[in-house]
Amino acid sequence: MMAAGLGTTIQRTRMGTNMIRRSGSILLAASLIAACSGLAQAPAKSGGVIAITGGKLLTVSHGVIENGVLLIKDGKISAVGESGKVDVPKDATIVDARGMTVYPGLIEPDTTLGLTEVGSDENSNDLAERSDEIMPHMHVADAFHAETELIPVARLNGITNAMVAPGEDDSVAGQDIFIQLAGRSRDAMILGRDIGLSVNYGADQRRRGGRGKSEYPSTRMGLITQLRQSLLDAQHYEAARDAAVKKPEKTGDKGSDKGEKPVAERDLKLEALLPYLHGQKPVVIGVSEGYDIETIMKVAQEFHLKVILNHVTHSQEVLDEIAAWKVPVIVGSIYDFPKANERFDAVYTLPAELAKRGVKIAISSAEAGGPGGAHGVRNLPYAAGFAVAYGLPYEDGLKAITLNVAEMYGFGDKLGSLDVGKMANVVLANGDPLDVRTDVKQVYIEGVAQPMVSRQTVLRDEYSKP
Amino acid sequence: MTLFRVVLPGFVLLSTSILFGQSAPAADLVLKNATVMTASHGTIEHGAVWVHAGKIAGVGATVSAPANAQVIDATGKWVTPGIIDPHSHSALSNDVNEATSPVTPSMMMIDAFDNRDKALYQALAGGVTTELLLHGSANMIGGQAVVIKNKFGLSRDAMLFPNAPRSIKFASGENPKRVYGSRDQLPSTRMGNFEVMRQSFENAKAYMASWDAYNAKLAKKDDSAVAPKKDLKLEALADVLRGKLYVQIHCYRADEFLTEEAIAHEYGYKIRAFHHALEMYKVADQIAPENTAIATFSDWWGYKDEAWDAIPWNAVMSMRKGVKVALKSDSNDHIRRLNQEAGKMVHYGGATEDEAIRMVTLNPAWIIGVDDRVGSIDVGKDADLVIWNVDPLSTYARAEKVFIDGDLFFDLAAPGFGTPHFSGAMHDGGGFGNDDSENEDGD
Repeated sequence: MMAAGLGTTIQRTRMGTNMIRRSGSILLAASLIAACSGLAQAPAKSGGVIAITGGKLLTVSHGVIENGVLLIKDGKISAVGESGKVDVPKDATIVDARGMTVYPGLIEPDTTLGLTEVGSDENSNDLAERSDEIMPHMHVADAFHAETELIPVARLNGITNAMVAPGEDDSVAGQDIFIQLAGRSRDAMILGRDIGLSVNYGADQRRRGGRGKSEYPSTRMGLITQLRQSLLDAQHYEAARDAAVKKPEKTGDKGSDKGEKPVAERDLKLEALLPYLHGQKPVVIGVSEGYDIETIMKVAQEFHLKVILNHVTHSQEVLDEIAAWKVPVIVGSIYDFPKANERFDAVYTLPAELAKRGVKIAISSAEAGGPGGAHGVRNLPYAAGFAVAYGLPYEDGLKAITLNVAEMYGFGDKLGSLDVGKMANVVLANGDPLDVRTDVKQVYIEGVAQPMVSRQTVLRDEYSKP
Repeated sequence: MTLFRVVLPGFVLLSTSILFGQSAPAADLVLKNATVMTASHGTIEHGAVWVHAGKIAGVGATVSAPANAQVIDATGKWVTPGIIDPHSHSALSNDVNEATSPVTPSMMMIDAFDNRDKALYQALAGGVTTELLLHGSANMIGGQAVVIKNKFGLSRDAMLFPNAPRSIKFASGENPKRVYGSRDQLPSTRMGNFEVMRQSFENAKAYMASWDAYNAKLAKKDDSAVAPKKDLKLEALADVLRGKLYVQIHCYRADEFLTEEAIAHEYGYKIRAFHHALEMYKVADQIAPENTAIATFSDWWGYKDEAWDAIPWNAVMSMRKGVKVALKSDSNDHIRRLNQEAGKMVHYGGATEDEAIRMVTLNPAWIIGVDDRVGSIDVGKDADLVIWNVDPLSTYARAEKVFIDGDLFFDLAAPGFGTPHFSGAMHDGGGFGNDDSENEDGD
């Protein structure tokens, strides 16, 4: 479980300094090192099979199996079925899951996990580059802190995967990653880099406006014009680049060496937009108000972007339009505040209203105000449960934090349900995963039983001693 | 003419009631066939609650209500006392912090209370019937709280909790030192924080002594007696020392609980509750004998350094060591679902359902000092009751009806806002979460 070099990890995080200040306990520090690493327990010996037997399987893709068996081999799910109908190998490691619920690892669709440690400590935050509104060349992969203490905390509640995006200060904030909440290093944890482009539109990006400020862009008109110009610039950049490659310059032009093609100067910013202009990857658009949604969707359609809508907390008047666009939607925060003229449940009912119209939805753990954010990812299942309380069918609620999210980001064949061949990200809990009272007992990631330990459990155990 | 004068007001009153669908609460009301979580004496399956004239007149498997009582059949539903939030900054017109001096004990939160703020309504729809509206945490010694009953739709004064004890907000740690430190003022460190407090109480003692001397001269009919100046600030601090104010302290770290208790002993006052108190699990055995409660978050952590050692087991661990524990919102978001925050305590530490519901009813009532009147379903207490569709500790719980003093203030089945006593326009006082999120001076 421990590896050389973890001491360095501890110093990089907040913990080292705090430990010295607070307890000075070498024993505690040692156990914290074990707890906080992203390292998992050694996998079952190669070829070994884990058999989770007798549990209630929530497959997500094909219903509920009340008394089921799930086999894990080589990090993948190798069988799923009713007890008695699945051959359990004689040498399998049996995990008795009677009385337990077994379900796929939960997937957070939008978080800053790995980009922040202590909210108020700027040095521990790498959320958004605010020097310009258009920052497509920012790569979350470059800032992702794999050893963050926040990951084991989220993992303990059954969150096994997440999409990590920059903060929302910029119109184009940067490119997202899709992570596994376990692994020996950053590279092992990042399942996909630059999987989507985070775009934001609304009042919050108008930072150059306001009292005593008058820089461009300071209005929604400015933000949209700036964005549209950037997309046009990227198209022009590509066309010019391609033309330069196809048509070698004539000898003597621009003083280049005889007979050689000029090397076009790369523009990383514009280049970063190209895969999205080609519709190869999704653009995740954070936008809340109905009229803002209509505005930004006009731009998206003009440039044929592949869209995932995010937030949409005040979209009640455009629900039918959203359905007609056939774009997936991340609802978050379901706890966003209704306006002064709205009923208390105007936002709580949003997932149900979208699902009713056939929209593919994901739900994020975001809260309304408060620290929330990456520290609150462990509350993801409760946000889905809240949507169920306000009318979303239970199956859709579970899908909104598993299979739907996997599919949105291109991992639908690998994650999000209990199906043969998928990565064995599996959770065992003592009840309904969406209920706040439920306790997660074991989390498997790629078939490896994760230590059910975080910095917080270590503190709990230390101070529980008589 | 005389007759007309007498009749007219009655007529106007009647027509207004019809217009807004209001009616006086029935003299007797019975909720029957419910799972009744009393918060004080366990849970009654298929129980009944009898409300008479706004008070609880009976609770049990059966009640002996009069035959003409209005009856609500709550078969399959749950009934709890109204949820009580001992730490809110809702409806204060964004005037949470008078952050112009680290000592502002004469600030009265009632002066900022906006009874039409939408946050009150949204909390009501989550079953919240009583709130302690506190000054923020920018100052070591902040202002005096206002206690409200969430009778949304009534006038400002009709929403005040009658004869509730007075509370004052203190703070410690990062917020005061940041707010004043950033201006190169005292305090900018924890040393400075506590010195500001001690000096304040020294000033209050001198002030009290000057009044004592004056009163002594008066008693002796000494003609040379000159009344000292009445000073609102020192008067408020003197009331702390006289034990007339409940002291509610925003405090995170284990060492600071100990310092605060030591200063309280030094100057002879009691600390009613530590708020936030995220490290209480480390020193709960030392604090329990002080009879100081905590009002804590269920699972918020990591938003600043002094919240770095927060663990979600804090509430239950502290409770098991003898500290009275309440959960609170400090947030216009969480105040709408404090029942679920209580539900998390079943998960984090294995609280029983009775213990968990107490953390958002009877225990916060004690912190506010109104536990003799609200917080549990007991005969003689105010009929502040919530009917829930399912177990209120579950994720799926929705408040269906909320009664305050026996009167229906929220009804999920009613059209529009579901507020029998309110129609019209709400105010948006700005929603904020908690410390340091949207209110940089700290809540």
